[in-house]
Amino acid sequence: MIDYDQVEILLVEDNPRDAEMTMRALRKINFLNKVHWVKDGEEALNYLLRTGEYADRTASKAPKLVLLDIKMPKVDGIEVLRRVKAEYDMKGIPIVVMTSSNEERDVVESYLLGVNSYIVKPVDFASFVEKVAKIGLYWILTNRAPQGTGDGRA
Amino acid sequence: MAFQFGLHSVRHKLLAGVLLTSLAALLVTGIAMLIYDMRGYYATQVDDLTTQAEIIGRASAVGLQFDDRKFATDNLSLLKVRPNLEGAAIYNAKGGLFASYVREGVQREDLPALPGTDGVRVKGETLELYRRVVENGEILGTVYLRAHYEFYERLWSYLVIVLGVSALALAVSLLLSSWLQASVTRPILDVTGVARRVVDNRDFTLRAKKTTQDEIGYLVDAFNDMLAEIGRQTQALETSNQALERQIAERSEAQRALSDSERRNRTLVDAMTSLVWTANDKRAFTAAQPAWAAYTGQSEEDYRGTGWRRMFHADDREAIENQWIQAITTGSPIESEARLWHGPSSSYRVVSLRAAPVLDEGNRVREWIGTITDIDDRKRAEAEIRRLNADLEERVRRRTTELEATNKELESFSYSISHDLRAPLRAIDGYSRMVEEDYGDRFDEEGKRLLTIVREEAVKMGHLIDDLLAFSKLSRITIDKTASIDMTALAKAVAQELLRDQNPERGRLDVWPLPPAKGDAALFRQVWVNLLGNALKYSSSRPHAEILVTGEVSNGEAVYRVQDNGVGFDMKYAGKLFGVFQRLHKAEEFEGTGVGLAIVHRVVTRHGGSVRADGRPGEGATFYFTLPVKTSDD
Repeated sequence: MIDYDQVEILLVEDNPRDAEMTMRALRKINFLNKVHWVKDGEEALNYLLRTGEYADRTASKAPKLVLLDIKMPKVDGIEVLRRVKAEYDMKGIPIVVMTSSNEERDVVESYLLGVNSYIVKPVDFASFVEKVAKIGLYWILTNRAPQGTGDGRA
Repeated sequence: MAFQFGLHSVRHKLLAGVLLTSLAALLVTGIAMLIYDMRGYYATQVDDLTTQAEIIGRASAVGLQFDDRKFATDNLSLLKVRPNLEGAAIYNAKGGLFASYVREGVQREDLPALPGTDGVRVKGETLELYRRVVENGEILGTVYLRAHYEFYERLWSYLVIVLGVSALALAVSLLLSSWLQASVTRPILDVTGVARRVVDNRDFTLRAKKTTQDEIGYLVDAFNDMLAEIGRQTQALETSNQALERQIAERSEAQRALSDSERRNRTLVDAMTSLVWTANDKRAFTAAQPAWAAYTGQSEEDYRGTGWRRMFHADDREAIENQWIQAITTGSPIESEARLWHGPSSSYRVVSLRAAPVLDEGNRVREWIGTITDIDDRKRAEAEIRRLNADLEERVRRRTTELEATNKELESFSYSISHDLRAPLRAIDGYSRMVEEDYGDRFDEEGKRLLTIVREEAVKMGHLIDDLLAFSKLSRITIDKTASIDMTALAKAVAQELLRDQNPERGRLDVWPLPPAKGDAALFRQVWVNLLGNALKYSSSRPHAEILVTGEVSNGEAVYRVQDNGVGFDMKYAGKLFGVFQRLHKAEEFEGTGVGLAIVHRVVTRHGGSVRADGRPGEGATFYFTLPVKTSDD
């Protein structure tokens, strides 16, 4: 069983290759045990709201970072962002969009919905690893996030 | 002249009157005096002779009694003292000549031989007297005296005197009357002169001078009054004449205008393609309507009266009727479209029917005049145009929708490319790296080389995708074409940037002054990057690269030129130069995605300009692009 209390990073990514590469990058900075990977927007919301398959999640802590892909089946990243930032209990959770989309409209819309950062995934793996590592280090170690939020049922 | 003559005549008449009157008076007086004098003379003579005879008789009585002749002759010779006595004789009672006396120069034989009876008688220029000598009642003899009777001399001298006096008197009266007449005729002549001048000059302001207060004075007054009156009348007459002339001129002008207008109208009617008709106030065709007959093919007896209505389409008759009724009540013209039977083509054709009421003085409709114009062709054309327009609009709308859809598809397509194509590439690169990281020690050199190629190709494809996205974005963004761009500065900045890492020994890049442009500076920056980058790239194989950037304004457009001495190209492939992913050189020779010039083309085209290129293999290339020069500051 997963120890949800350990989870500080929620990775929302439908592409298993990208997910693996992301986790590989995080492993390089020894954050692997802090990551929980969900495969689409619906699962992400379920996790955060402790609904569906995560209904029995007992964690009292919210993640310190959500790495959110945009283009996903069922509920896409923009929708997740909208829902999270619209909920008073969750809007404090830092969300960093990590996507292949370089489209201006996605950037603008994300920021209008309150995204905390927007990263375009580089094709080059070395750059990719470097960026993911920087993000992880910054948001987990450098940044100070509000405590105790993120428990939708708190 | 007659007037003048008449006045002279009056003057003469006056003169003659005065003279004749004077003459008559003188003559009557003269004759009266003459008669009186002659009678006195005769009586005196007779008395004288009688007395003489008496004296002689008495003196001679003795002589007779005594028959003393000598005595008697002596007595008689005493008569010498009386020169007027020409002769004397004494006869005795027996009647014989007793004594005689004759004056010198008188023949004695002239004395009568026998005495005559008592009395006096005039015989020529002599006066004879016989007187009985009676003594005591006894006749003694007879005395005869003959005297020179000076009747004619006297009469003559009298007449001469009378005539002389008369002439003198006449002369005096002539002078007097002349003077008198002058005072009478001068004012009249004055009036005459004025009258003549008035007649000659038609100047009714002239006035005769009044010099006397008599009848002539009144005459002058009357004349002046008359002149004034005539002047007024003439003035009035002239005014009225002028008015009349003006009216006549106006009328003839109006008449001319009318006839002009009529001629114009006739010409118009002849020239019109419309048919013209007239109808009476009941809308009946009364006169012959040849144009109507020609169009509809209706005979005159058919269209007479209201028969013409049958030629309109049954469905349109009521509408025409209603319009007409409305026109009658409002007095306004009719304009209507209806289908009219066209005889020659045996079909109904759309016509424009116009009718206007001709009103009489009482504003009642006297007749109708109108035109019928065949607008069938026009209507058809209009309908066709409307249909085509609607069709076109529909097509445009459909096309716009299609284009919008295509645009959306393109957008989502490029979105997919940016997202979905990149993911596998990243995976290829990432997983290759992972293999390298995790199993690198088990690979030999060749294995590592192959893996590297996989990763390089993946990165290259990433660049291709990026370029393609940038290019497709160009056709979707809106461009602000009003901002001014200093092309010289922009090209120089780009050149500097590109040359930063270049060895100055390898060549030179000169930017001459360029015309300014209007548009999106960031896009033109990309244009310069691509053009100058290309020039550098394809000159890189030369020992010394020469790149020259020039430009000028000609024929209303700005021309920009980038000339290099690079490898050039075959003009055969010039058409492919600006296409996407089109490359004229092998990737081994020069790297690139084949999007750069396509971007140049698109940016320039979207700014209303054009691009072209000149080149020869091995002899360098020149790339041109032009931009419209905005004369106004819009």
